[in-house]
Formats: sequence, structure tokens, C-alpha cells
Amino acid sequence: MKKLLEISLGVVTSVGGFLEVGSIATAAQAGALFGFQLVWAVVLGTICIIFLVEMAGRFAAVSHHTIADGIRERFGFNAFIWPLLAALFVNFLVLSAEIGGVAIAAELATGVGFQWCALPVAFFVWLLLWKGTFGLIEKGMSMLGLVTLCFVAAAVMLHPDWKEVATGAVPNLPQHDTAKYWFMAVSILGASISPYLFMFYSSGGIEDQWDKTYIGANRAIAGLGMSFGGGISVGVLIVAALVLGAHGVTQVDDYNQLPLMLIPIFGFWGFVLFVVSLAIACFGAALEVALQQAYLVAQGFGWTWGEDLKPRDDPGFSLVYTLSVFLAAVPIALGLDPLKLTIFSMALTAASLPLTVVPFLFLLNDDHYVGEHCNGVISNAAVIFIIALGFVLALVTIPLQIFGGT
Amino acid sequence: MQLLRDILDKQVVDREQVKIGKVDGLVAELRQAKPPRVIAVELGSIALGRRLGAVPGRWAARLVARLSGKRQTRPHRIAWNKVRDIGVDIEFDIDVRQTKIFAWQDWLREHVIGRIPGA
Repeated sequence: MKKLLEISLGVVTSVGGFLEVGSIATAAQAGALFGFQLVWAVVLGTICIIFLVEMAGRFAAVSHHTIADGIRERFGFNAFIWPLLAALFVNFLVLSAEIGGVAIAAELATGVGFQWCALPVAFFVWLLLWKGTFGLIEKGMSMLGLVTLCFVAAAVMLHPDWKEVATGAVPNLPQHDTAKYWFMAVSILGASISPYLFMFYSSGGIEDQWDKTYIGANRAIAGLGMSFGGGISVGVLIVAALVLGAHGVTQVDDYNQLPLMLIPIFGFWGFVLFVVSLAIACFGAALEVALQQAYLVAQGFGWTWGEDLKPRDDPGFSLVYTLSVFLAAVPIALGLDPLKLTIFSMALTAASLPLTVVPFLFLLNDDHYVGEHCNGVISNAAVIFIIALGFVLALVTIPLQIFGGT
Repeated sequence: MQLLRDILDKQVVDREQVKIGKVDGLVAELRQAKPPRVIAVELGSIALGRRLGAVPGRWAARLVARLSGKRQTRPHRIAWNKVRDIGVDIEFDIDVRQTKIFAWQDWLREHVIGRIPGA
């Protein structure tokens, strides 16, 4: 009974925490320009992240080590430095984009320009990390994140042609704007298969003191939570296709176009719902990415870490998230367009995937760490597929960015 | 046991299970007519710098010297005979508070983090 409660709480947490600036922006752009055609990219990305999150959670539960610990310990410092630098850089861009997302929501709500909101937003993110506990951040913020379900409600109320949506769930070739189509597919995959997400999840397993008894719960949380989360992304895509695309708005290159999505369905409240969803989803993600920066450094160098400790008890760890949050606010405060930054950082996330996914193949088959809970044939096949996908993405991202980027 | 596989880069904890770093380097003693013997593990940025190469090692040493105000600096060492348990983590029979390994974290606590309200 207690486990069941924990599973449902975990599922709710992952659903509420799934949507962030990247998944909103990429799904909205794709829906507006290509209708339901790119649903498959969301579905594929979601299946991949289910496997990675399940493995990250299992690794933490059995070995009491995180994925970042594992990479450093198993491959040595000279190998670890590459995923470390890549992840720190990509996370920096993503964190900046998330702060930009909250700042845009603040601009939509108050009329104050987003660049003026960036530093106050960063301050609130930092304050919650400074004073809050892991439970508050993970569970509290994600509960609020359930407001993003309004996209699913809106999608259903629009009565889409479900047969057409299902057709889009099967990979298909574009009829127009070929380069842009593939660039968007890459950005959607980058937004769904985020290294910060599965790395954070494995740290969360340690923060929540998981042990071997959580293997089943972990599987359920990864499978159900990520599937429902992916469902919200599909919801955003459907709404964008039927509201923006159908009304001739095919190029979403300005955040101010996005709140229009929910207005035909919910009227003025649609505007409010959009702003609140954007603010909460991005704020929650900003907390997670900032924490992940600190986890990554602290675990990589073996320092004491933990969000439940007081900052004075893990000064190195606290310093990393403090610096990360305020540095990431700088580009937005200088007026860098958050939407452009978001799309760019999602594509770069996709390109960085091999560095963080290849270690899964070794770590999850190392009986030193996971003992009898090694990967089975299906999980290993999935990792090898994701690695292959990662290498393809890494190769095509830069050319596509040049020819199909906005 | 294989030194590079089972010792290098593993998590180091003290006798209170406090995480104090990873094994950033190994120190072996060469002996006449006998196989070399591990005498200590090294921790910290100088040891890490040396892992990357001689030049980064010198940079790290110079940086640490400047920050700590000393003329010469060496990596932190823990004697191998203090080792208590070798598993996924490596436990040493020491108390980190009695070493200088966390000196920079203590400095940070005193001068930066501790001065921010709510720390």
C-alpha cells in the first residue's frame, strides 16, 4: 500500500516535471508548421527517455551511486572530463532557456520586458534551492506542474482527427520544408531525451534513499510517468496544429504567438493558463537543471552533496548551483531571445547525447555496481539503439542547424 | 585486485562515511629486488591536473599555491595502511576534519557561503 502511494506520487512527479520550455517550444513549432506529422518524434523521444530513466533509477537503487559517479569511477577522470564539460555547457544553455521561459511568462503577465525579469527569476530559483529541501523541490513543484495537463484537455476539446494523429505517430517523410522538418525532429528528440533529466533522476534516487526494493516502483514510475509526460507534449503539438497552423500561423518565431494557442478553447482563461503553465514548467525545470549542475560537479569530484543538507554543510555543492543560476541568467538579462536559445540548446542537447548515453551500456552491465540487476536483452538493445540514434543526431545537428534552423 | 580498475577514481569515504573525494592518483614505492608497493592515494586538484598531463599539473599546482598563499604545494595524501574497506567505495580509517582535504570547503563556508543569510 505504501509502495502504491509512492509509485503514484512518483508518477505524478514525473508527469508534472516532464514539460519544460524545450518540449513546449519544439512541439508548438512542429505542430504549427507540419500538423500532426512530427508526433512520431515525440513518441520516439519518449520511448528512449523511458528506458534511460528506468536504467538511471535502477543503477541508483542497486549501487547507491549516480550515473555521474559511475562515469567517473568506471571510465576514469581523463574520460569523464568530456561528458562533464559537454553536460556543463549544454545544461548552462538549457538553464538559461528555462530562466528565459519564466521571464517570458513574467513579461506576458506584467508587461515588464523579459530581460528585466531574468535576474529576479534567477534569484527566486536560487532562494528555493538555498532554503528548500529535495522533497519540496521535486514533489511540490511537480504537483504544481500538473497545470500543464490543460494542454491535454485543450487537445481533446478540439476534437482532432485521432486517425490522423495516429498516422503521424509513425515516422513519415516531409512534403515541404525538408531541412526544417528534420531540424525540428532533432530538436524534439533533444527536448525529450535530456541528459539532465536522467542524470537528475539518478541523483533523486539517492536523495530519496532508494534501495533494491524500489526496482519495481522505479520501473512503474519511469514507464507511466514518462508516457503521460510525453502525452502532454503531444497535447501541445495537437493544439498548435489545430489552433496556430489552421489559422495560418505556421512560423512560431516569437513567444508572444504562443499564448494564442489556448485562447480559442478557454477564452481569456486560456491566456492565463498558458502563462501559468509556462512559468511553472520552466521554473521547475530551472530548479532541476541548476541542481543537476551541482550534482554533476560534486559527484564527479567526490564531494559531499545533498539538497537536504544546509548550505554550510556542503559549501562546494551550494556554490556550484549558486554560480550556475546567476550566470545562466546573464544571457537573458542581456536580451538574448529565449525562443532562439531554446531551440538552439535543444538541438545541441541532441548532439551531446552519445557522451552521456554510451556509459549506460557499460555501467548497467557491470555486476560490480548492479549485480544481478544487470540489463536484460531488451534494455541493452534499447541502449544500443539510443547510442546509434545519438551518433546520427550528433552528425546531422550542425548541418541541419545551418540549413533548417530558424 | 587491479589498481587501475578497482582503486583509481573510486569514491573515498572516511570512517564516518563522509564523502571526501575520489582517488585522483596513486603513489607507489619502488623497492630493490621486490615488486613496487602502493603507499598512498592522492586527492585534489593537483593530482587531477597531473592526470591530464605535466603542464596542467603544473598549472594546478601554481593555482593552488597562489590561492593558499604557500610557496610549494603537494596533493593531499592518505596513507594506504589506513585503508579499511575496498568495495564500490573505498573507506579509510581517518577523520576528514583532521586533514586539510576540505580546507577549501571550510574557507568557502567561512568567507562566502556562511555569510549569505539562511546558510
